[in-house]
Amino acid sequence: MRTTRSRSAVVALLGAIFALVGQAQIKHIEMRVEGMT
Amino acid sequence: MKQHLGRQSGVQNVVVSLLDGKVDVTPKEDGAIDPAGLLKATYDSGVSVAEMDMTARGKIVKDAVGSLVFQVGPNRAYMFMSNDLSKGLQALAGSATGVTIRGQLYKKPVGKKKPEAQPTLTLLVLEVQSKE
Repeated sequence: MRTTRSRSAVVALLGAIFALVGQAQIKHIEMRVEGMT
Repeated sequence: MKQHLGRQSGVQNVVVSLLDGKVDVTPKEDGAIDPAGLLKATYDSGVSVAEMDMTARGKIVKDAVGSLVFQVGPNRAYMFMSNDLSKGLQALAGSATGVTIRGQLYKKPVGKKKPEAQPTLTLLVLEVQSKE
């Protein structure tokens, strides 16, 4: 029983971490350029 | 240049303002955008980049040598250029906290006539927009 609970906790933790990594992203990039005509 | 940048992977939209020399790039949500690739594509189109800023959500982690980096994708992370704001993020290293940062990835070196096509990008934090 205890092992099952521990596994569930680990799976939940890993899920939360992967969900956060999945949300990681570049939202916007802005450049100031020179020599543009 | 707009066409050059629009062809880069992960680019959704490019808006060029000729008046003030500003280029706004909106990435797709697939996370495939590569700022170094954008810099090179701009350089290849015959225009030099004076400055590149990025707004991104990611995690603060430590790399293999223990340096603090900002992870914005599975294979994309940027080292911090140390300032007060980056020092304030040290406590979040390795935590699950997601952070949204606006920062400067590239600035053309002063006095250098010909900029490098592929410089090393480091992140100078300008604003920490959220921690959650």
